[in-house]
Amino acid sequence: MGGMKGRILVVDDDVALAEMIGIVLKSEGFEPLFCAHGDEALEAFRQGQPDLVLLDLMLPGKDGNEICRLIRAESGVPIVMLTAKSDTVDVVLGLESGADDYISKPFKPKELIARVRARLRRTDEPSPEHLTIGDLEIDVTGHRVSRDGKTIPLTPLEFDLLVALARKPWQVFTREVLLERVWGYRHAADTRLVNVHVQRLRSKIEHDPEDPKIVVTVRGVGYKAGTEAS
Amino acid sequence: MTAGVAAWPTRVSRAGRRGWRRVSGAVQRVVDRWRGSLQIRVVTSALLFGVVALGALGWFLSDRIAGGLYEDRRDQLLADSASSTQQAQQRFNRSASERATGQDVEALFLEVIGQLQVGGTGDRRDVFLLRVPGGSARVFANGQTTAPHLVDLIDPQLRRAVREADVQMWMPVGIPTEGEPAPGILVGSTVTVPTAGTYELYYLYDLSAEQQTLAFLQRVLVSGAAVLVLLLGVLTWMVTRTAVQPVRAAARVAERLADGLLSERMTVRGKDEMATLARSFNEMAESLQLQIHRMEELSRLQRRFVSDVSHELKTPLTTIRMAAEILHGSRESLDPAAARSAELLTAQLDRFEALLADLLEMSRFDAGAAMLDAERRDVREIVVQAVDQATSLAAKKGVWLGVELPDEPVIADVDGRRVERILRNLLVNALEHAEGNPVEVRLGADAEAVAIRVRDHGVGMTPEESEHVFDRFWRADPARARTTGGTGLGLAISQEDAHLHGGRLEVWARPGLGASFLLTLPRHAGITLGESPVPLVPEDTPSPEATVDVGAHVVVDPAAVPDLDRLEA
Repeated sequence: MGGMKGRILVVDDDVALAEMIGIVLKSEGFEPLFCAHGDEALEAFRQGQPDLVLLDLMLPGKDGNEICRLIRAESGVPIVMLTAKSDTVDVVLGLESGADDYISKPFKPKELIARVRARLRRTDEPSPEHLTIGDLEIDVTGHRVSRDGKTIPLTPLEFDLLVALARKPWQVFTREVLLERVWGYRHAADTRLVNVHVQRLRSKIEHDPEDPKIVVTVRGVGYKAGTEAS
Repeated sequence: MTAGVAAWPTRVSRAGRRGWRRVSGAVQRVVDRWRGSLQIRVVTSALLFGVVALGALGWFLSDRIAGGLYEDRRDQLLADSASSTQQAQQRFNRSASERATGQDVEALFLEVIGQLQVGGTGDRRDVFLLRVPGGSARVFANGQTTAPHLVDLIDPQLRRAVREADVQMWMPVGIPTEGEPAPGILVGSTVTVPTAGTYELYYLYDLSAEQQTLAFLQRVLVSGAAVLVLLLGVLTWMVTRTAVQPVRAAARVAERLADGLLSERMTVRGKDEMATLARSFNEMAESLQLQIHRMEELSRLQRRFVSDVSHELKTPLTTIRMAAEILHGSRESLDPAAARSAELLTAQLDRFEALLADLLEMSRFDAGAAMLDAERRDVREIVVQAVDQATSLAAKKGVWLGVELPDEPVIADVDGRRVERILRNLLVNALEHAEGNPVEVRLGADAEAVAIRVRDHGVGMTPEESEHVFDRFWRADPARARTTGGTGLGLAISQEDAHLHGGRLEVWARPGLGASFLLTLPRHAGITLGESPVPLVPEDTPSPEATVDVGAHVVVDPAAVPDLDRLEA
């Protein structure tokens, strides 16, 4: 369990909230880093090398979505957004800019810790595991996805999503099941998370994201791995 | 035979009725068309007026012309006749001879009427010289005539009048021809033939020529009138067209404006009244568009305000929440007063959060920002989920919770989150007021709608009270309900959620009989709800009295529901 504890960058301009989040994180054994301005967030990320980023959406300087895109451009580190807005448009926009998950304010300390743990969790399989889905090779232990020997860069969340589908290619996953397997939610939550991430995953691995062959939509049910290599 | 006679009028009247229906239908169509078009109305009125006016004028003119023609001619003929008669009298006087025999006189007569046949004006006329019946002349001579076949035209009354009066008499007659009788005039007077006595002398003039002139004039008049009426019709048609056309255009544009095409305008041409109409119309549309844009802007600002306030409020609330949880978590190490305070703080924060969430939800409805996130769902699953969440409260209250579901799936396009929220609200509400009696949930469906009824057997409400249950912050018993929690917005939000689906939420309640809430949702967008598949008033109600149907006042607008087929499955 010691490996799970890690550095967490808290990007929030509200000093009181940031400090409070810091207290909660510390009490659970995490090491919080702080940044209160949007323009300094990327620098703080580069210097701190955190294992996870808690990112407020509304910030002075660059806003949360922008920072999210900048971090995503250079790292697959888990990003969890803190948002006061829970309207579909705002949430989807945040997820589309690269966030893995979001927490709506006001949240309880337990919720925060559960989300952070879920994102930091590593399924350390002792035996090496190799999967194929479509024409993709997945090295589960090495966290590598490749096509014809060329590595395709995926964020850990996208990787987990792909692995979950590839492990049981005969099964159709509902969005609720995927939320539980990949995001670690135990209760019904926002299925928009799944839709947005499936779209993003497709844009990276599909030959034609408009006509997906690897992650297939099953209308009215959910998603499954494509059966034939295209 | 009698039967046949009896049946006959029935047959006739039936055929008559059918005919009358057809005729009255046609009349109705014409009347409708006439009422529906200003242009047709104006043109028909103008034509009608034109025909009547020209008819009167034509009748007057033709009467005067005929009178003038006839009188002139008659006076001329009378003068001509008088002078001819005088000539004849002189001729008779001159040829008076004592020795003349009847034959001589008759020969004289023939000669005279031969001369008289051509009048002074050059007209040909027929001449009749008739012997006055009776009389005692010395010589007997028969009357002579140029047209023996027309002698019958001379009326005995005229003859008598001519004999008795000493002046020239006349009367109009019809001269028989092969076709229509030709108009004529018969002029009579008396002449005295020496030795032979008094004779009546008649001239018959043929007025066909005048008749023809008159007919010709009348033809000219009629065709002139027809041309005038036609001209009048075309003129009014064109005038009303120019007047009605812009009105029609305005009506068309107004209709399009009403359909929401706010940038629709009329074309302004020239500077006349029609241009003024178009200009004022466009100004009106302009100000309408401006007002609507202003409202939209206002609504956008309100949404923005709600969003900003929510952010500003939620951030400090998160800090307080987390601080309270930390305090609550370590309450064992605090002194009893502080520990209890931490407990109260946490509990009230829950309430505060719930209230804030409900307020934000309500303002989202008010701003029209609430969106239906509908997908194809088996409604049974939603009911089961909501009921599962309510079981712990039911157990705590000691209330038996019964659920009645159909065996086959109940598929509908619904927003699961909202439907579950409605059911949760209804269930909590029912459990809190159940007073230990069972609460029953029933799901029913037909081809168009899905209905869920939540029924309790608690204290119930008066019909007056149940009219207010969907009001914001309304409580049936303010003193009592305050302790049972809830924000006071639950049912108001539930009703908004139902309306967002194009559905409705209704209530029935009676004191002592409990309450029944019925949620009815259309299966798909575009369905206008009729009767609910589940009755609102429970079947076990003792008296079938009139019910208060609060939800029925709500206008359900299917257009407010998004097209679900276009959403991704």
